[in-house]
Amino acid sequence: MQQNKPLISISNLQVSVGDKQLLSDVSFDLCEGEMLCIVGESGAGKSTLVKALQGMMPAHCDRFTYARSSTEVCGAIPAGLGLAQARWVMQDPLAALNPRQSLGRSIAESLHKENLPKDKLRKRVLSALDDVELSADFYDRLPSQVSLGQAQRACLARALIAQPKLIFFDEPLSALDALVQKKIAQRMESLRRATNTTYIAVTHDLGFAAAYADKVLLLREGAVSAYQSRMAFFANPQSDYAKDLVAAAQSLGALPEAAA
Amino acid sequence: MSLSQSIRLSDSPPADPLRQFSKRVGVATLVLLGLWSLALWLTPYQPAAADFLNRLAPPSAAHWAGTDHLGRDIATRLLYGAGWSLGLSLAISLTGFVVGTVVGILAARSGPAGDFAVMRVTDSFFAFPELIAAVTFAGLFGPSTTNLVIALMVVSWMKFARLARALTLSLGDSDFITQARLNGLSNGLILWRHLLPNILPSLLVLWTNSWSRTILSVSGLSFLGFGVQPPSAEWGAMLLDGKAYMQTAPHIMIFPGLAVLLAVMVINLTGDRLRDLMAGKT
Amino acid sequence: MKSFLIRFVGLLAVLFGITLITFTISYFAPGDKAEAIAHARYPGDFGIAPEVLQGIREEFNLDASFFSQYTHWLADVLRGDFGVSYSSRTSVWVIFVDNLGETVTLTLTSLAIGLTAAFLLSAVAVRYPNTFWDRGAVIISSIGAAMPSYWLSLLLILGVSVHLGWLPAYGTGTFAHLILPAATLAFWVMASQTRLLRTFMLEAYDQPFIETLRLRGIPEREIFSRHVLRHSFVPALTMIGLDMASLLEGAIIVELTFARSGLGSLLAGAVLARDLPVVMFLVMFFATAYVVINSVIDGVQHICDPRNLNKAKTS
Repeated sequence: MQQNKPLISISNLQVSVGDKQLLSDVSFDLCEGEMLCIVGESGAGKSTLVKALQGMMPAHCDRFTYARSSTEVCGAIPAGLGLAQARWVMQDPLAALNPRQSLGRSIAESLHKENLPKDKLRKRVLSALDDVELSADFYDRLPSQVSLGQAQRACLARALIAQPKLIFFDEPLSALDALVQKKIAQRMESLRRATNTTYIAVTHDLGFAAAYADKVLLLREGAVSAYQSRMAFFANPQSDYAKDLVAAAQSLGALPEAAA
Repeated sequence: MSLSQSIRLSDSPPADPLRQFSKRVGVATLVLLGLWSLALWLTPYQPAAADFLNRLAPPSAAHWAGTDHLGRDIATRLLYGAGWSLGLSLAISLTGFVVGTVVGILAARSGPAGDFAVMRVTDSFFAFPELIAAVTFAGLFGPSTTNLVIALMVVSWMKFARLARALTLSLGDSDFITQARLNGLSNGLILWRHLLPNILPSLLVLWTNSWSRTILSVSGLSFLGFGVQPPSAEWGAMLLDGKAYMQTAPHIMIFPGLAVLLAVMVINLTGDRLRDLMAGKT
Repeated sequence: MKSFLIRFVGLLAVLFGITLITFTISYFAPGDKAEAIAHARYPGDFGIAPEVLQGIREEFNLDASFFSQYTHWLADVLRGDFGVSYSSRTSVWVIFVDNLGETVTLTLTSLAIGLTAAFLLSAVAVRYPNTFWDRGAVIISSIGAAMPSYWLSLLLILGVSVHLGWLPAYGTGTFAHLILPAATLAFWVMASQTRLLRTFMLEAYDQPFIETLRLRGIPEREIFSRHVLRHSFVPALTMIGLDMASLLEGAIIVELTFARSGLGSLLAGAVLARDLPVVMFLVMFFATAYVVINSVIDGVQHICDPRNLNKAKTS
């Protein structure tokens, strides 16, 4: 099915602000087209990890490679290293979109660096809108003129249009209704298969992880509590904390049959 | 699929209320400007033309608002006076708007130390109540239109600076600006496309407020003798003229005051509406 | 504690800025200061000898550089020596104290009447929304906010003094002289504060806990007096502080229109007579009073409302 080329690999990532250690000894590696779900309770360091990987926080690691380039880094991760091609879909689509800018123009900004001529750019944006099942007349709408789900689709289009190798998702569904959640999750999944993009998704929704993740990274108080493939994580969790978590989710019926 | 399609069909894009409102205000302004120039063109009188046979005449068919102590037509003088009272205060408040916004954004973007310094300078200017600064400046440097305008401009920008700074700081780490940064937009582009369009509506509300206050200041200072000097037809200066004839010909002082009141009310209500629209959106 | 220290340093910086701006204006004011002093000393003497002028220049250090004059003046000010009026040759401080009373009386009277009226009007408006009273409060406050106070003064003089002959039009002294000016200013206070208080009270009603109180069967009257009023108090306090400047401005205009004595008339007279020591002192007084009052209100607000502790960093 997929060519399993490694995309990103990191070992012993440390993040601290002042004398406060936010993350310690985080390691993982991902291949192209794979999806990693970072789970854990709030304050466990999920968002910190995403920011650190994008060079938005001072971070150190033993080894860091990205996109089979020769860039192998030890020590501090410089801002924006290699991940410039990555895109980030945030939790609240209305905060992530400029309220005074049309959806089309927001999406087009993702291609800012490519300096495309106007008509070509518009065509790309329209096809990106089509990819997320939004019609062409959404191009000129303001975020306040669409529903939350439609706004999140636009954010998804903004990430996809740049054809990144890697997309970060920060709780991409938690602001949405269940029905919209499902539709967007399915769309995310089919686009991942179609474009072979790697996803790193922060979520506290174990059901989402159980349905779509290839690997699960469980954080607790800034440290890795479990790092396993999806099957292994849900069938045979590494740590006691992971066991409790999976059991709790199962008792709530939050996990799909396959994972249980 | 059918669900998303039905959603698409059912809501035709609702118009952006802010844009709609600015269009309406724009049209109204143009209409008013047109009526004003038409009236200036149609009036048979000159603002400074004295007619001693017709002194202190009450309102009549020939002189809609009567005549003043020199027999000048008050309605015509009110029309010309709009240029002084509204025009000068417009220029003053626009200067404050632009200067203050620039200062506020610079302060917010210049790091904690620079911010502290710029804002303490702003506070120092802010401490001088507008009118006191204007009376002092215009009085010491000689009461004249120029000195009045300079004085009011010097104290017009601080509120804008404070608001622009606060808004810039609160938007600075918002998600959509982070996205723009990650997309590689330059600071200038981020300012132009993302920051300004989002802070301008609030600043515009403040500006309507500042414009109407400045109208009151300009006419008030002229009334007190520190601003536009008679025989110029500024509304406050006209009131000053009328004060001496208050008993015999009250219409001389009634109409200019009414003009100020109406102009200020219209501008205030426009600003209120704009503020309500924004509050409804956020 | 650290944030308090930063605020204090900021306050000192602002006060320093005020002295600098004040001095700069007076330094660059046109006209020969020595001549102004001489004219005040020897009234009616038009041929003042150059030696006399030179003597005055030396006495007042007028030939020194900007910086040297400023530091001398600042040192005097810090010692509490505000100089002597050019025209009356009495101490500026004495003149100030003589005139302060009238302005304070006018301001406090109007503030008391205006605030009481504003509280009543907005309370009625908020308790009975969308009624005649509510609309009336809104209309009165928008007229009051747009009303030129000098025009209202003239209208009152015309109606009450000229036509009815009930009260004196101009001057100071008796209680009767105070009524019209205080009414003018109080109308403005009422209008501007009604507008704000009404908004604050409505916002307080929007707080989620109000609904809880209602469900618990607390009477409407008690909800209003114990919760809504208290919630609208802190923002109202801040706004009154910010509007101190407008209140002072209003007082000055009213004083001048009614020919009352007071700080406003003193300032206007001193400015026109180029009595720089008086002008500088008054300008500095107004600015300093404004800054200090707002700092105090800021402090009170923080003590009243611990939720503001976090917001303070951004303001």
